[in-house]
Parts: sequence; structure tokens; C-alpha cells
Amino acid sequence: MDKVIILKDLSDEELAADTAAGSRSSFEELISRYSPRLFYFLRHRTASDQNVEDLIQETFIKAFCNIGRFDPKRKFSTWLYTIAARQAVSLYRSNKTKKPSLVPMVSSQDPQEIVIQKQESQNLWILARKLSPKEYKALWLYYAEDMPVNNIAEIMKKKKVTVRVLLHRARTNLAKKMDKSVYFESFAGENPAEHKFSFS
Amino acid sequence: MFCSIHKLLISRAVDSKKQIPAFTKRHLGRCDSCQEFAQLCRSLKQRFAHDTSAILKGYNKEIDQKVISALSEIKESRSTLSRPGLVPHLFSKRTFLVPSLIAASLVLVISISILFLTLPRSSEVNSLANISDIFNRAHPAHILEKAESPLEKEYIELIETIESTAKFLISRLDVRLGP
Repeated sequence: MDKVIILKDLSDEELAADTAAGSRSSFEELISRYSPRLFYFLRHRTASDQNVEDLIQETFIKAFCNIGRFDPKRKFSTWLYTIAARQAVSLYRSNKTKKPSLVPMVSSQDPQEIVIQKQESQNLWILARKLSPKEYKALWLYYAEDMPVNNIAEIMKKKKVTVRVLLHRARTNLAKKMDKSVYFESFAGENPAEHKFSFS
Repeated sequence: MFCSIHKLLISRAVDSKKQIPAFTKRHLGRCDSCQEFAQLCRSLKQRFAHDTSAILKGYNKEIDQKVISALSEIKESRSTLSRPGLVPHLFSKRTFLVPSLIAASLVLVISISILFLTLPRSSEVNSLANISDIFNRAHPAHILEKAESPLEKEYIELIETIESTAKFLISRLDVRLGP
């Protein structure tokens, strides 16, 4: 139990260094930290859930095999997301992508999970999934990962200017797609006057 | 008309965490669409942060188990290696690149040697004869000989002129030479 607590306290870079030294539990901790984030990062418009699962698996295997090459001075998240992005590009090139489903993943008909499903349908990320994959990825890295434009450019193999343009396009398109009712429903209890988002 | 430019400047200001330019601020005062876009840009960070934590809760943890089991399979198949850091080292590009480069250079050297050894002798002799011929042509005496040829012509011409002059004088002056 103590070990678990210690692992949770460690930074990503420290866990990566531990993994390179042979600690398997450290890498499992990294998996639990990053697999949900990678899942939603890779789950854009043109990606099916099965493809995303395969990509996550391939990404972690590649990261595990190359952990010896990871430079602890760099951010682990940038390194891992770079691998994931490259894996996604490889999969896209090999034309193995299946028809995606925009329905959020729910494994059973548990009432609690149904509530989660309903909440997800109002989630802005579900709406963002309708954007182009590049726009979605740029948005995820910027807002969900709170990454600077430099790191996003490194992951996406783009120039900083291109990333800024992608972010701008994503915001503009999101604003066009944004449904007023969904937005205000999710912000129930707040003052709607502060959030005027009708884009006709 | 200029809304797209103003929206781009608003987006840029959000990304660079700087203030919106003054002329865009003035435009915001009279354009509802741009005002709404600016509000959206300002609120997106908070909105996405809220929705990210909500969406991550719905993640299926079974995927983690699949990844971990896939990793154990890999680890078992590479059980001879003491630690994962060695795996990329052994299978790295450099490890394969150096021996292949050495092998390629060896093949090149051997093939050049074989070509040199198997060249026909006659051609070698011919080539040597050609070389000596070129050398002879380039000899200084030969060059001088070639260089003096115009003077020789002049000499012959001079002799011919003297002979014709002598014949003329003999015919005109009736000069009898000798006893």
C-alpha cells in the first residue's frame, strides 16, 4: 500500500526513470495516468473505439520498449503524446481505420453509467469530436493537457503558427457547431447572461 | 466584413495570453458576433477543464488491463533481457547500421581488387605504349624542332630568291663565271 502511495506521489519523469531501471509497477502507474487521456486524445472523428484501444496498446508498448531513450529533462507527456500521434499517423496510412461511432463508451446498463452517458453527451469534447482530427487533437493538447503551443507543435510535427491557426479554426468551428441548449443545460445554475454563445 | 480578422486576433491574444488589440476592442463594442466569440474564447479553458474531468470519469479501465497483459507477454518473450532499457539498445538502428556499413565497405574493396586483378595484360601494355608516345611528343627537342620549322621555310625561300636573282643577272649582264 505504501508503495502505491509513493508511486502516486512521483512525477511522470521519475516514474519513467524507474521504469528504465526495471520497475514494472512504475510503468503501470504511468499507464493508469495516461491511458484515459490518450484514449480521448486519439478518439477523434475518424477513429473507432477499437482502433483507439489498439493505438493505446501500441503506444504503451513502444514507450516501454524505448523508455531507455527517454530524456528525463523533457516532459514525459510530450514524449508519450508524440509516440501516440505517430502511431495514429501510421495506422491512418495503413488504411486500417474502421467506421467510428460517436456514442460514448458504456459497458453496461448501470443507472450510474447511464447518467455518465447523458453527461457525456452534453460534454464539449463530444461536440469537439465533430471537428477535423487535427483541430480536435490541437484542442485536446491545449485545453485538456494544458500544453504550450511549442509542445503541441512538436507532437503534431507542425509549425507554431500552424498550431495557432488550427486552434483558431477549432474555436471558430466549435462556436458554429455549439448548440445553445446543450451549453446552457450543462451550465445549469449559473448566470446565462455571462455565457452568450448563440452563433447563428 | 473584418470579423474574421478580429476573431483571429482574439484567438491569438488568448493563445499568447496577451491583451486584445485596441482596434479589436473598439470593434467588439459594435459587433455581437465577435463579442460572443471573445466570450467563448475566454470561457473555453474553464469549460474544457470541467468537461475533461467529467469525460475521463467515463473511461473504461479494462483497456489498462489489456495493455498491462500485452506488456507482460512482451516481457516474457524477451525474458532473457534483464531490463527493458536494454531492449531498444539491442535493436537500435545504430547497432544494425555499423556492421552493415563495415560489410558494405568490405564488399566494395574486394570487388575493386578483383576488377584490378582481372584486367587484361595487353591493354595494360597498350596503355603503357600510349603513355611513352605521349611522353616523346612532349620532349623538349621535339618541341624545338616544331618551333623552328617556320625559319626553315624562310631559309628555303631565300635560297630560291638568290638563285633566281643570279640567273637573271647572268642572262642580262652576260657574266661568265669561271675560266
